[in-house]
Amino acid sequence: MRVVQSKAIRRGISGMDAEPSRSQLATALMRVAAGDDAALRMVYQDTSAKLFGVCLRILNDKSEAEDVLQDVYVTVWRKAADFDPGRASPITWLVAIARNRAIDRLRSWAVTRRTEPIEAADAVSDPAPAAVERVELAQQQKRLARCLEQLEAQHSAAIRAAFLDGATYEELAQRMNVPLGTMKSWIRRGLLKLRACLEG
Amino acid sequence: MSANGTIDSPDDGNLIAAEYVLGVLSAAERREVERRLARERALASEVALWEERLTGLTDAVVPVAPPDAVWSRIERAIGTGPRAPSVWQSLTFWRSFAIASATLAAASIAALVYVGLVPGARVPLMATLSGSAGQPNFVASVTATGNTLVIVPAALLTNDPRAYELWLIPTGETRPRSLGLIQPGQPIRLDIPSDLAGRVTPDATLAVSLEPPGGSPTGLPTGPVVAAGKLTNM
Repeated sequence: MRVVQSKAIRRGISGMDAEPSRSQLATALMRVAAGDDAALRMVYQDTSAKLFGVCLRILNDKSEAEDVLQDVYVTVWRKAADFDPGRASPITWLVAIARNRAIDRLRSWAVTRRTEPIEAADAVSDPAPAAVERVELAQQQKRLARCLEQLEAQHSAAIRAAFLDGATYEELAQRMNVPLGTMKSWIRRGLLKLRACLEG
Repeated sequence: MSANGTIDSPDDGNLIAAEYVLGVLSAAERREVERRLARERALASEVALWEERLTGLTDAVVPVAPPDAVWSRIERAIGTGPRAPSVWQSLTFWRSFAIASATLAAASIAALVYVGLVPGARVPLMATLSGSAGQPNFVASVTATGNTLVIVPAALLTNDPRAYELWLIPTGETRPRSLGLIQPGQPIRLDIPSDLAGRVTPDATLAVSLEPPGGSPTGLPTGPVVAAGKLTNM
């Protein structure tokens, strides 16, 4: 089932044009922690298209992704005080909540509902981040991309597929048609190399 | 521990955080990591690091605007949640508050309101600054003139070596303004800078964050918010 429609994509991207700066989002989360529902609305407006995309990608089911998205923002409402701006950027914190919820939902389904291979990365232009952070963000993304390029193609493809689809080692091994041990060693070697590259 | 050697084999132990963040673990393995995260700070830091490293991968995902109905459902869900903002108007709150924190909290408020840390002044604005679980951590009051604020700890916070900094987020603004450092263990009286006095109004937010000794080096909160609440008219 292909849930992503081009119209929705365009709407989603245009909705991200006004993406707030990191500090604006961090401040909004602070207000959410104080019980300010208008601030939650702002966080939702600015991040829901991205998080919905992330959930859809993992769950590949619109109604399930909507349920998880609701759960994500209710969690944000209740746990905003746990957000530590010294430790994570707001979008990283939000993406982590969304991915964790979506992956947990995926795991709760009995057997893999999705066995067809999925291309690792849809080639779509990035939503525009706030001007203040564009440079910093671009550098981070470039470094990640550069480091991924340095991995063996299969290792980086496995890492991307794991992160974006939330697939287990077993599912990835099946999809790429290699033994489980091979998949584990691809990903672990890839992660170690990636860490060394990013920290280098 | 797990049969397939994903967790706890010594060679891969340092990758369990990465495997958790990547999403390759089974449901049982994820729960195991989450149990450890609650008590192992090093592991939690490692997970945060990997989240920061890998989150850029989601830029390849197409954003999709969710249907409007999702927001309506969220509004309904939080409307009935445990975090009712109008806590000051709740008799249940006051009852449970007085009973549960009879010693420190009630004494703090009594001292604040009646004994005269704010001598001769009416107390027009108050805020309860709650933590993530909704428990009141500080109670703050502003004098009628709007240029003095008293903040009293209402709960015993865990002993954190970091400094506690108080912030004002004026109504309709997004940038927090520092009101100064406070003490988790004793009432503190702060002078509100004259340029901010007019912005200490009902619905403005007070928040307390943990900062390096001496306070935030950037002028904006850099550490976790341990308590926050809105000012309301008494």
